[in-house]
Amino acid sequence: MRRVATRYGLWALVLVLAIAFLLLGSGFDFEYVIPKRMTRLAAMVIAGVCVAYSSVIFQTLAGNRILTPAIMGYEAIYLLFQALLILVLGTQSLVLLGRNGNVLLSILLMLAYSGLIHRWLFHDGRNNVYLLLLLGLVLSMVMGTFTQFIQLKISPGEFSIFQGFNYASFNKAQPTQVIYSGLLVAAACFIAQRSLPVLDVLSLGRDQAISLGVDFQRSVRLQLALIAILVAVSTSLVGPTAFMGVFVANITYALARTARHRITLPMSCAIAIGIFIVAQYVVEQMFNYNTSVSILINLVCGGYFLALMIRTRGAS
Amino acid sequence: MISLRHVYKTYGTKHVLSDVSVQFPPGQVTSLIGPNGAGKTTLLMLIARLLAPTRGELLIGGRSIADVPIREYARRVATLRQTPDFNLRLTVEELVAFGRFPYSRGALTVQDRQVIDEAIEFLSLQPLRLSYIDELSGGQRQMAFLAMTIAQQTDYLLLDEPLNNLDMKHAVQIMRALRRLCDEQGRTVILVVHDINFAANYSDHIVAMKNGAVHLRGPVAEVVTEAHLRDLFDLDFEILQSEQGFVCNYFNPSLSREQI
Repeated sequence: MRRVATRYGLWALVLVLAIAFLLLGSGFDFEYVIPKRMTRLAAMVIAGVCVAYSSVIFQTLAGNRILTPAIMGYEAIYLLFQALLILVLGTQSLVLLGRNGNVLLSILLMLAYSGLIHRWLFHDGRNNVYLLLLLGLVLSMVMGTFTQFIQLKISPGEFSIFQGFNYASFNKAQPTQVIYSGLLVAAACFIAQRSLPVLDVLSLGRDQAISLGVDFQRSVRLQLALIAILVAVSTSLVGPTAFMGVFVANITYALARTARHRITLPMSCAIAIGIFIVAQYVVEQMFNYNTSVSILINLVCGGYFLALMIRTRGAS
Repeated sequence: MISLRHVYKTYGTKHVLSDVSVQFPPGQVTSLIGPNGAGKTTLLMLIARLLAPTRGELLIGGRSIADVPIREYARRVATLRQTPDFNLRLTVEELVAFGRFPYSRGALTVQDRQVIDEAIEFLSLQPLRLSYIDELSGGQRQMAFLAMTIAQQTDYLLLDEPLNNLDMKHAVQIMRALRRLCDEQGRTVILVVHDINFAANYSDHIVAMKNGAVHLRGPVAEVVTEAHLRDLFDLDFEILQSEQGFVCNYFNPSLSREQI
């Protein structure tokens, strides 16, 4: 009963937050302020769903509660790609590809990266969490260094464009991009929804999943492809979200008190969207845009990630 | 009937199994015994399709197992590996329900629920039905996983060291349950077991492996002799008979012989 109350309570809370975000201090200006806020809200919902789904599914596949796509270098590779684009094509890249072209290329890139991860990490289902964590962090660091190196090579104008990619922000979302992203995410979620029972079985680990009749390689490939699309959409829409995924997933497990994806996935979406709305509200109304959502989220979620690492180490 | 024909499993230059040909008699409990690194678990994993053989063929009912779709295979062969340290929040009931996945892909039917109830009753797990598996003791958790494989309603059950880390009471419970599955329901049970006494007292058939090959196989009475065991494990054995069964003593047998 408590579980059910938590579930609906969460969504009610998110709804209240969303309405408050739309209307508070808007002066009920339906011409300009509210449509603008609607776009931002839609971007938050889409990004929230992306972060939540990709993190929870990735943790199921990896069989632990620390790894997320962001930590495994998905976002680092996105940033490296953006930096390379600017280095090679200059500011022309924006015109040449257009925003949608860029998103499409990013999705392809993430799919390729997912393929690599599948080959290296999930081929036999035996993986050491700490090795993966180390690998992910080292990869992120290497790609981050490359990105920084490229930043030194580009002009200040190009650099400011790159900064736009580098920080999570809901202010840059364009209505058309929001619509395309929404459709893409809806399609991805539809597929994920259909594979809920398979995800539950996958959480038992490779061996048990195979002996229960799951085509492990195929299922993992499909899920990693979904993750790639979700991460690509969210990073190109709002920028990298780093430790947000770990935070969202673990809060979900604590609240849901079950490992069934039918419950954890929707719940994690609610939590992610709620966090985004609160963070954005604080940035807009309290800090008056003097700080960014990235900084707030990284502060809270990064701290939680550290605590999680220390606690799990103590437990094992 | 599951049979292997000239099966090899090689990692790089290391031969884990070489030229293994063996048949597992249906409707019996077969124990795979042998020293560490003999290839017992590898053999079991090949049958479970968790590993693919480097060469050779595995047959189930005369058909190559690689030709059976994985979903259909899960209705014929159930596997239980050493259960990992789980931190999954699932109740015993939910876990056992996974055993029905090969049939109903997550949407449980009335018949599925009945099978789940029967599996839980079979192992007398009713009191734990709504407990979370991450709160159970190792032995209770192993029983819950066994109930899941029972609910899979397969002709074959494969178990990889099911008695690992269990106390004596739970170990006896598990072995008795396997015996009953075989005697009452006619299932074929194949297990890797390290405790020679459990293997000798609860199985019908023994396959003894050494250095990646089948060393000996046959009914318990033929295989479990002092001479064979000494040869297999490079250890002195003394077999003590009693009315309740027999005990293979390998703790200090050479010493005791000297004392006599």
